[in-house]
Amino acid sequence: MSPLTYILGFPFLAALVILLIPKNYRFLIRSVALVGSFLSLVVAVSVFANFGSAPAIDGFKFQQMVPWIERAGISYHVGVDGINIGIILMAAVVAFAATAMAREIKSNEKEFYLLLMVMEGGILGAFVSLDLFLFYFFHELALVPTFIMIGIWGRGPDKNYATFNITIYLSLGALISLIGLIALYVQSGANSFDLIVLTRHIQQNPLTLASQQVIFPLLLFGFGILVSLWPFHTWAPLGYGAAPTSTAMLHAGVLKKFGLYGLIRVAMPLLPEGASTWLNVIAILALGNIVFCGWVAMRQRDLNLLIGNSSVAHMGFIFLGIASLTTVGVTGAVVVMIAHGFLAALAFGLNGYLYNQTKTLNIDELGGLLKKMPFIGTAMIMAMMAGCGLPGFANFAGEALVLFGSWKAFPVVTGIAIWGALVIGAVYMLRAVRNVLHGPDDPHWNEVKDAGLWPKIPFVLLIVALLTFGFVPRLLTEKIEPAVVELLKMANKNKPANPTVAVHGQISSENFQ
Amino acid sequence: MNQTFPWLILFLPLIAAVGITLLTQRSKSLSAVLSIGAIAASFLLSLVLFMSLKGNIGLNETLAKSWLSVGNLQVDFGFKLDSLSLLMLLIVTGVGTAIHVYSWGYMHDDPSVSRYFASLSLFTFSMLGIVLSNNLVMMFIFWELVGLSSYLLIGFWYQKNSAADAAKKAFLTNRIGDFGFLMGIILIWALVGTVDFTRLQDAFRANPALLGTSATAAGLLIFCGAMGKSAQFPLHVWLPDAMEGPTPVSALIHAATMVAAGVYMLCRVFFLFSPTALEVIAWIGGLTSLMAALIAVQQQDIKRILAYSTLSQLGYMVMAVGLQGPAASMYHLTTHAFFKALLFLGAGSVIHAMHHEQNIWQMGNLKKKMPATYWTFLIGTLALCGVPPFSGFFSKDAILAVAWEHNSWLFCIALFVAFLTTFYMFRLFFVAFHGVGKSKSVDHAHESPSIMTTPLWLLAIPSVISGWLGVEHFVGKNFGMTGDHHLNFIEEIFYPFSHAPFAAMTGIMATIVGFSLAYALYSKAVVDPLPEKLHGLSRAMRNRFYWDEIFNGLIRITHEAAATLANGIDRWIIGGFFVKGLHGTTEFAGRALRLVQTGNIQTYALLLVAGLAVVLFLILH
Repeated sequence: MSPLTYILGFPFLAALVILLIPKNYRFLIRSVALVGSFLSLVVAVSVFANFGSAPAIDGFKFQQMVPWIERAGISYHVGVDGINIGIILMAAVVAFAATAMAREIKSNEKEFYLLLMVMEGGILGAFVSLDLFLFYFFHELALVPTFIMIGIWGRGPDKNYATFNITIYLSLGALISLIGLIALYVQSGANSFDLIVLTRHIQQNPLTLASQQVIFPLLLFGFGILVSLWPFHTWAPLGYGAAPTSTAMLHAGVLKKFGLYGLIRVAMPLLPEGASTWLNVIAILALGNIVFCGWVAMRQRDLNLLIGNSSVAHMGFIFLGIASLTTVGVTGAVVVMIAHGFLAALAFGLNGYLYNQTKTLNIDELGGLLKKMPFIGTAMIMAMMAGCGLPGFANFAGEALVLFGSWKAFPVVTGIAIWGALVIGAVYMLRAVRNVLHGPDDPHWNEVKDAGLWPKIPFVLLIVALLTFGFVPRLLTEKIEPAVVELLKMANKNKPANPTVAVHGQISSENFQ
Repeated sequence: MNQTFPWLILFLPLIAAVGITLLTQRSKSLSAVLSIGAIAASFLLSLVLFMSLKGNIGLNETLAKSWLSVGNLQVDFGFKLDSLSLLMLLIVTGVGTAIHVYSWGYMHDDPSVSRYFASLSLFTFSMLGIVLSNNLVMMFIFWELVGLSSYLLIGFWYQKNSAADAAKKAFLTNRIGDFGFLMGIILIWALVGTVDFTRLQDAFRANPALLGTSATAAGLLIFCGAMGKSAQFPLHVWLPDAMEGPTPVSALIHAATMVAAGVYMLCRVFFLFSPTALEVIAWIGGLTSLMAALIAVQQQDIKRILAYSTLSQLGYMVMAVGLQGPAASMYHLTTHAFFKALLFLGAGSVIHAMHHEQNIWQMGNLKKKMPATYWTFLIGTLALCGVPPFSGFFSKDAILAVAWEHNSWLFCIALFVAFLTTFYMFRLFFVAFHGVGKSKSVDHAHESPSIMTTPLWLLAIPSVISGWLGVEHFVGKNFGMTGDHHLNFIEEIFYPFSHAPFAAMTGIMATIVGFSLAYALYSKAVVDPLPEKLHGLSRAMRNRFYWDEIFNGLIRITHEAAATLANGIDRWIIGGFFVKGLHGTTEFAGRALRLVQTGNIQTYALLLVAGLAVVLFLILH
């Protein structure tokens, strides 16, 4: 029994138990949920810690395989390599933090925690899956509860519109990517959804250029919609603004990374020729995310909309790193995925706490809160600083890697992206701090209280994660880099070895290092 | 010893900062002890390190651990110990210790003193990181951290709107400089393959045309970082506003150390710059220096005058680098750190005594009331104005000499600035310390406690003697300057006259003219006589040549407008036209099709027959 099964199993088990508890035993329901996600977290941390010493088969560790529908080649197959181990750790941390933040839910707790557990199990399952069918299946399992959660426990005047908007838009994206995945399955002729089998099969019989050029855009835009690729991004700020805190944390932090993971894991290595024609498009659209959505964020007066747009902007860096197809760039992309997961969870969590105290997130109405809430205020400043790429937080390491790695392939785009990262990000983040935390005392907010001991825990956890990987990014990159190198061998196989970097007068090829 | 000392020097302040934040926030004195103890220890360790390593000509030690290693990007966490960094270590820790001690006196009554000391220690850590780093990326990291510390300290009294605004302005302006800086770093790495200073320098020595056609671009991009941090035009606008922070902060960060980081960085990577880049750098430095000096002539706030003076002196230092005189630049950086910190702390003493009155036209006759402050301030002023044998004379002369050698236009500008410097400094001096008391607050003024005046005397000593110690030659070893060292004491004092007599004499003359004019206009003045004489020019100077207003306007028409446009497109076109449009279209199609479902049997019969007819037509045709 692989420990990975425990990681996705504990939340599902917790959901089952919660189903049996009568609805008015609120404390018990919450405790079961917390225990479930905490156990999942513990296992995830231990897998992360033991990752280096575990044996690898076909490049993946901690595997477990249980055949399911043999005719169609579908099986329960889980495993980790350098790329998804960090994401799984991040997902488990964010899941626990999100569960902790669910204390704000005061009605129909049983249903909410049930849905939350299903969502957590689903997204953890998606990231550990090595079977493409279950990969998609778990994601949908995680997506559907968001509809109910935003619809019932959401807030704001746009709640209903946001609920339908996010659900239908994301379902559309998932549908397009499903078509792509099935097309891949059919065209490859491997008669298996298993990633390892598919990869081996495609390496020997690559798909024709014609089919790659159809399948890749399906996957790109399908997954792209799921990740709020520009211009398919408007669902995100709207949805996060209306969602309850736990849902926003889990969705923005973890679910959004699903599409990017799909691109890195499936689309780029298995469809290299199809991908190569789209790289420039991806880079330009990434710029749309970084700069356009950064500018939109600058004009927002609602904190959640601001963080939501900032979240969309950060996705641009990941796309840019992926499009660069260099070791440095793609490793950076994965690091940003992980770092941003922590950051989004922290930011939305803090906003949620603030909303509960002040009943508004309008920047113009808030003010002078740092004095009243030193802990939350400081945590918020840290989140803002991490969001604009301050070194010391994991986001800087990731963004720097992406920028260094993408320079060769897209110098102009990267140059503009640096502006987006350093200046645009700082503008809206610091304005938020200026208007919400700094400034004179506002008697309106005299009743506002700082976080007590228990509510502090999820925030401290997330900040520690950001700082740890910010000070020692090696913990992530030493795992990610080897896996990325393997992946790029497949993704770059048609590119001639480019003489890219002159080192002391000698030409060396950048791609194969 | 050499292996562990740099680690201790760097990390002791960080430990203090973390310790204060987590453990001693309630106790003011414990926090102060931690913070002062850390930097004092770092100073002592730096001194020992300096003594043991300084004799080593061609010194170039590095200790490195790998921090980030992906693909062919190798970023170390390492230290580069050479004469440049050793000198800077002493300045940062030495001046820093004096200011930390002074702060305890100045900030004693503030309720958030613990937070102050934690931020100050964080700053010390970050600044030492810049000094010690052995590669561009590590320097950039600490560069940003220094920006953070500055943000926290300028905005220390964040409940004041002006302070909160100033902090944000400083951070954002610096970020614009960092944008260019990072692009330059990436460009260099892409072309050369390494970010390590030593390896870069070796690569350049082996092949001076390494950067090819991008050499000037890379150099100027890197210079952007220095423009931001050292407040050169056009990124100078944040420095005067930064005076919102407590005065010891202004002394430490915005006079002696952080703003000098830009100059330090330029000297560190001096070998990268092409002649064109150096020319641009020199002119920007010279023009900044001139503009700032002119503005200082008509400022009334004592801290603002000193702030613009700092801007002007930084311009001198940058100009010197551009004129291929990095050793002269570092020399002036050193002396300036001492006397500028002294002047700011002196100003703080005055402000403290005047119950936070900062307008010089409300002061006067403080000579009698505050003798210690008076004499130390005079020493600082004489040093800044370049009066021999004070330290400023020697370093300023080094810069004038370099200017005379390379660019006569800039020499004239530099000379004029020397005149202006003396003029506005003695304007300040006479109005604040001489004449009659111009307001009630003067009557209550008295000398500051010894915890504040002792650092003043301590800083006065190097302000006087640091010109006699051969600083330029020590640091010049880094830049391949040979010969002329091992001068004895007397030769050192007369060095300017033997080395560049014309520059020295004209410099002294400019000082004399400036002093005389200031004496004539201000020694007995009760109101400022200049506005009447200079009209519009005086108003422009007082309004800082309107650059803040111009930039605000420019930003509004470009960046803000772009953001508004993007937001509009996002809401109305992408979200509105496309998404809602899709929604509307689908809904419309649904409604249209629904019309077919009339519930009326006749309709269905009609449709059945019509459909049958179409099918028959298609089959038979």
